This record gives sequence, C-alpha cells and structure tokens, in this order.
Amino acid sequence: MSIGGSDLDRAIAQLRACRPIPENQVRELCYKARELLIEEGNVVGVDAPVTICGDIHGQFHDLMELFRVGGDVPDTNYLFMGDFVDRGFYSLESFLLLLCLKVRYPDRITLIRGNHESRQITTVYGFYDECLRKYGSANVWRYCCEVFDYLALGALVTGAATSLTPTDGPIAESIQSMDIPDADCDIEIETLNANGEIMYRYARNSDSHSTAASQTNSNPASSSPLGPTPSNTGPAGTGATSSSNGSSKNETGAVLCVHGGLSPLIDSIDKIRLLDRKQEVPHEGAMCDLLWSDPDEIDGWGLSPRGAGFLFGADIVKHFNHRNDLSLIARAHQLVMEGFKEMFESTIVTVWSAPNYCYRCGNVAAILELGEDGSNAGFVPRSNGERGGGGGGTTASGGGAGGNGRGWVLGSNVGPNGAAIGENRRLSSVLGDGMGRPRDGPGRRYRVFEAAPQDSRGMPAKKPVAEYFL
Amino acid sequence: MAAREIPDLKTLLASRRGGGLRGRGRGRGGLTASSPGGSETIKDSAVRGTDQDAAGSRVSCVELGYLNDAYASLFATQSSTRRLPLLNRGTYVRTSAIDQLVNSFLKVQPNAPKQIISLGAGTDTRYFRLRDAYPSTTILYHEIDFPTNTAAKLNSIRRHAQLYEKLLLSTHPLPPPQSSSYHSPTYNLHALDLRSLTTTTTSSSSSSSSSPPETTPSPQLPQLPNLDPNLPTLILSEMCLIYLQPSAVSTIIQKFTTHYLSPSTPASLILYEPILPNDAFGRTMISNLATRNIHLPTLTAYPELGDQRARLKQYGFVAGAKAADTEFIWREWVSAEEKERVAGLEMLDELEELDLLLRHYCVAWGYRDGATGGDDDDAHGNIFSQAWAHVKEQG
Repeated sequence: MSIGGSDLDRAIAQLRACRPIPENQVRELCYKARELLIEEGNVVGVDAPVTICGDIHGQFHDLMELFRVGGDVPDTNYLFMGDFVDRGFYSLESFLLLLCLKVRYPDRITLIRGNHESRQITTVYGFYDECLRKYGSANVWRYCCEVFDYLALGALVTGAATSLTPTDGPIAESIQSMDIPDADCDIEIETLNANGEIMYRYARNSDSHSTAASQTNSNPASSSPLGPTPSNTGPAGTGATSSSNGSSKNETGAVLCVHGGLSPLIDSIDKIRLLDRKQEVPHEGAMCDLLWSDPDEIDGWGLSPRGAGFLFGADIVKHFNHRNDLSLIARAHQLVMEGFKEMFESTIVTVWSAPNYCYRCGNVAAILELGEDGSNAGFVPRSNGERGGGGGGTTASGGGAGGNGRGWVLGSNVGPNGAAIGENRRLSSVLGDGMGRPRDGPGRRYRVFEAAPQDSRGMPAKKPVAEYFL
Repeated sequence: MAAREIPDLKTLLASRRGGGLRGRGRGRGGLTASSPGGSETIKDSAVRGTDQDAAGSRVSCVELGYLNDAYASLFATQSSTRRLPLLNRGTYVRTSAIDQLVNSFLKVQPNAPKQIISLGAGTDTRYFRLRDAYPSTTILYHEIDFPTNTAAKLNSIRRHAQLYEKLLLSTHPLPPPQSSSYHSPTYNLHALDLRSLTTTTTSSSSSSSSSPPETTPSPQLPQLPNLDPNLPTLILSEMCLIYLQPSAVSTIIQKFTTHYLSPSTPASLILYEPILPNDAFGRTMISNLATRNIHLPTLTAYPELGDQRARLKQYGFVAGAKAADTEFIWREWVSAEEKERVAGLEMLDELEELDLLLRHYCVAWGYRDGATGGDDDDAHGNIFSQAWAHVKEQG
C-alpha cells in the first residue's frame, strides 16, 4: 500500500489525533521522506518568512499547542531544529506527524537533525522503548532511524526583514502600555504570549542622524527594554540595539539554524556542506559538534560537560557570523526557562519549544518568527481564540502540571499587584545586553506559550509520572 | 525513560480519559486494606510507597556503577529499575553526600562507640554497608519506619544470608515472620509511626528520666529498646520528616534530643530534602507529587538554605547548622577524579535539567556539642564539631 495523496491526508488526520499509523504506512512514509531528504543539502536554504522552533521531545500535545499559537501547516512556514523524539511519551506521534507534513508540504516545513535523532541516544532516552511498546517490535524505530540519517544538519534563512511589522494585538494585561513603543517605530523585537497579546516590544534605534544620547532622550522607546522598572536599566539605550555601529538600514545577514552550535572544525558554512551526513551521529567530529555544542560565557573553545561537542564563546560566534555574513545563529538544544535566550549581543539565540519539559521543569516554550524582507508582509494574526481567554496569559492556570507560570512576564518585573516578582528574569538575561555588531539582526517575534492543558481537545493524554527523589 | 512509564497504546485507546494509569507502579495499596478509607490513609500509603521508589533508584545506580552497594538489589521489589541518567546522577550525589558526613562521624575518635538513628529508613542499606566498612567500630544502629515497611525489611533480611549474617543472630535471633521489630546491640528495627511521638500528652507525670521539667516525657511515649541516651548520636532523615507538619517535626526532634537522648549527649541531625518550592520547577514538583498524593509540608516552611540552617538552630543544634544544595555538593564535595569517573558512566545530555533538579534538593546538617562540665572526657563533647569541621557549606 502506498502512502500519498489522500492516504497521506488520512495519516495526517490520524496522527493529529495522536493515534499512530500502522507499521506498513510508517515504512512507506519513511521511504518517501528519505527520497525527499536525500535531495536536500546539509544546509537547507529557507526563505523568510519562517517560524523557527526548538526541541519538541515527544510532547505531542504541546506540539499541537505550538501549531495553535504559531499557525498551522501549511499556512505557516516552519523550521524545526531537531530533537523531535525522546523524553516525552509521544515521540512516535510527534515525529511521524512532522514527517508526514514534510512529505505532504515539502516547501512549507524544514526538519533538521538534533542530537536525539540518533540510534544510540534514542535507546537511552525513550524513543526505542516507546516504539517497542507501541508496535511490539523495533521495526518502526529502525525505519525512523534511517530517516534520521538523512535529515539536514542545518538551515540558512535568507530574506528576513530587519524590522517587524508590529502586531495589532492587544497589550498583555500585566504590561503598562506606555512602555510599549509605538507601532510606527522600527521594531526589532516583539514578544507575544499565547493569545497574541504583546508582552514586550523593542524598537531599534536606526536613526543615523541622531547621536546615541539624543536618541535616548528623544525616543522614549529606546529606554523601554526593561519595562517599567527603571532600576533595572543600565544607561538607557544599551539594549539589544545595533545603532551604535552607525549602519543605515542595511539588509540583514542570513540566519544559520543548527541544533547545537559551532564546531572548531568548521569555520564556514561551505565546510558544513562538504560533510558526509548520511550516517549515525558520530561521537566526535564536525557533525557531532553541530548537534551537541553549546554557547557559553567563555573565551574561545571549551570542553563540554555533556561529553560530546564543545563550548564556544562570544568571540567564536562573532567571528563566525562576520566571516559567513550572518546576522544571527538560531539554535536549540538547551532548556531555557523563558523559552528563548539571546546571547552575545544578540548574535546567537537559543529557542526551546517544549513547555514544562519532561512534565517537570515548569518552563515556558517559545518559537521565533522571522518576517519577510521588503513587503514586511509576513505577519498574519494567528491567535484564533480557539481556547478562549486565560490560556497562556500571565494569569493562566498553567497547562498540565505547570502550576501558574508567570515567570516569563517580560517587560515587567512587577506583578499584577505591584509587588515585585522575584523570579521574573530581568529581560537582559533573556535578550542579552550588548550593542554594536556588524550586521543588523533580523526583526524577531517570539511567541511564548505554556504546556497544553491536560486532556485538551479530546485527545488521549496521560498524566505522566515525573520522577523525583523520594 | 524506563519502559514501564511509556503508556501502552492499547490501554490508552481503551480508556481515553486515562485515569486508569495514574499511580501505576506505585502501590502497596493492599497494605492499607485494613484501615478505614479516607484521604489520610491514601496519603500514608503514598508516603510508604515512596520507599520502593528510592530502592529502585538505588538499584539503578548500583547496576550502572554509580554506587557500590551489594545490598541494594536484595531489598528492591520493582522489576524495571533503570532510571534516567540525570536521576542516577542525583541519587549518586544524595547518597555520597550523606555517606561523606556519616563517614566523617565514624572516623573521628574511631574507638568511641557511636549511635545512628535513621528515620523513615525504609529499605536503606546503610547499616549493612557500614558493617563492612567499619568492622571494628562500635555502631549502635536504629531504623524507624512504619510497621509495614519494617516488616517488609525483616522479610528481606530473613530471605538473604548476605543480610542476616550481618546481625548478631546467635544471641539475638530474628523474630518470627509477621513481626515488625527487631532488637539487638548492633541493629534495631523499630516499627513506629513517628507521629505517635507527637500525640502523647505532655502531662506532668515523670519518675525516672533526668529530662528538664518543661520537656517532661509523658508515660505514653513509645519505648525504643536499646537506644542509648548517652552515646554520640547522629539522626538521619532522608526524605522522611518532609512528609510531616513542621510543628510535628519540631516535636519529634525534641523528643529525640531531650527524651530519648540525654540533653548533654552530643547529637546531630542530617536532613536530605527538596528546597525552593516557589519557582517554576518547585511549583511543578509540588503539583506533580500532589497527583501522587504526596505532600511536603515542611518544604514551604523552609524554602531556602537559610531557612534550613535557622531551623536546625531552633531544634537546638547550635554548635553548627549548615546546608548546601546538591548542585553545590556535586561541584564542591566530589573530587575531580570521581567526577570524571561518574561522568563517564553514562552519556548525560540533560545538563540544564540536572542542574535544575540538583539545585532543588539540599543536605542540611546541624549538631550540638555535649556537656563538658565535669564529665570524664570532653574530647567526646565536640565530636561533631571535630568530624565536620572541614565539610564545606554553601555560602
């Protein structure tokens, strides 16, 4: 039996309901996917607009929440940076759904490989056991692993706009509207909650006629990155702006997307293109590093405590970006409690898309939208209100076991009652706090969301047993 | 993720709403069959059940080489025990941290007899390991737990020669099956619900004890045979007192430090418990455990390391009251070579999560020196100060 056309749509419908498809269909799907992936280079070219997603880890219901928040395929163009499987209980359904969507809409979804897309790791972290349990044999696991070997190692996003077209969404309740820059400013960063409400907006100071000082005086927006808590701000205008290099509205460089990070063996994107990727992830070497490395506050390179890949510092990133004409590296791989974290003067960002990771960590998730250059037409309001009010907002009861998570209220360190919420991370810890980099970064819209409510939308959702020390 | 945790597809399809799987793998529910129903009973059962959880974690660590414990598998009843790498790492840190404190206590003044009281000991193997490691030290060991847990432990001991050979069976034979207590000059299993120490009235009747008047023991306080009121004593609570109300914990500790022990006896308390209940991870932990009917009343009462130290002082451990989270302990207490050995056992990808997990558990240790006034040797008096002088606490 072949999978294609209406069969494929049927499989997609079944997987969307979190029900696995029969083994023979998996085999067929994996075969088709391999045919498709083999044509892709190690670094896939992707045109903006695109929505960049981090780790999923088998949290199927949260993947559905991601599609609700970010828009469905094929309406939204997606790039997933790997780690589809392991840890969560629905690795199989999550990966197969993404693969089906890839085969059905090859130009609307890009999948690159994470370090968990590997035979060795999946036998430790759950995907192997899950396949065995759900099918009674390891065949499906084997088919999937063969697909893993063909996944691209990275993606290069071009054509992203330097400024966002501001959303016309309402301003989130907890945010004081006076701190949100006007929509006609040159918006570099915008953070929205799951209901499409604006939590934070940051204007780029791109007026090259003004000095930095006069800008900060004349443009209240420039002092707003930390919201209504002036005590948190350093000198005004030292947020994630690139104005100090005096560049005029130049086009943004490309955005490299990779699961882990850089490798000491790779100094150019062309060198990634030369790798032979169609194999199990090796224990060392360039391919391993791309999937395993982490940025860290060090100079140069360091040993990774993970036992694979390396740590790399700001100097490495800046040099690599300059040399390869990149404005930003987007990567996943590390849990960040706020869903995303920009580092090294916004030259690299970690995007994490598994909320309440392992049903235990209490974190929120994020996706990163890059708009299309020129027309700036990339944005379509997407929050369709399917879930009514309350979801995802700062007062949400917290999907699943998450409790009420409001640790991610950006733009404000003040709770609804005016009391400081200690755990609200200062924005600078999320967005970095530097200035002056060679290329204007793309306009970045982060959509932040919490775990899907248990038992949502009638899908089977088991309350998982997260383990603790007892 | 252990295989047992991955939901069986067929089960899921059959019971859409999924409630049927909750609490699977826990259990020992039958033990409460004789008690009347009610939420307290369910909670007690859940707390009792936590012990097999710990036993399984220990076995996982032993099998993978994290810990050297020949006895762990003899107590575990769970079939599938392999835990995730980060849980193994956490169990390793927890066990080796407490081992370090206990070892320092036993090594200082090696000829002095010592006493250890392990609260909620469950299937803990420490007594048996210490017998091997300190064959010539006089250790008077006590374990206190629910009767169901002590009875199960006795049964395990009865079944395995490796275990009962460590007891003084020639003079102190094992009690008949169904018994839940065992007493001897080396090892004692006390079947006791610690809360029974808090329900006794503080009426005035007192005859034999030398306790101060305001802590006059009531006649109803249970006997703890062989507990020596004068030996330097270490009290151990690994995830035990956390399940009780703060006031109850305070009363229980006070009963030990002033009634069961003479107030002039050097004494100490080691706590291993979670901390930081108010951040996102902590809130999720509380909510997740609540679905298993596990509640941690003292967690909210002592949310941070500073609260743990203050609490130890309040209990009267004024000579030292220290604490460190397990992330600190991994970093600072474990030698570089040992770290390298442990890191090499399994590939551990979940570093950020491990970090989160380790920062949410702490070891707190407090001690009081003995009375030095006129007694025989005052070297005895500061045994804990001596033993733990060099143990690094978190700043």
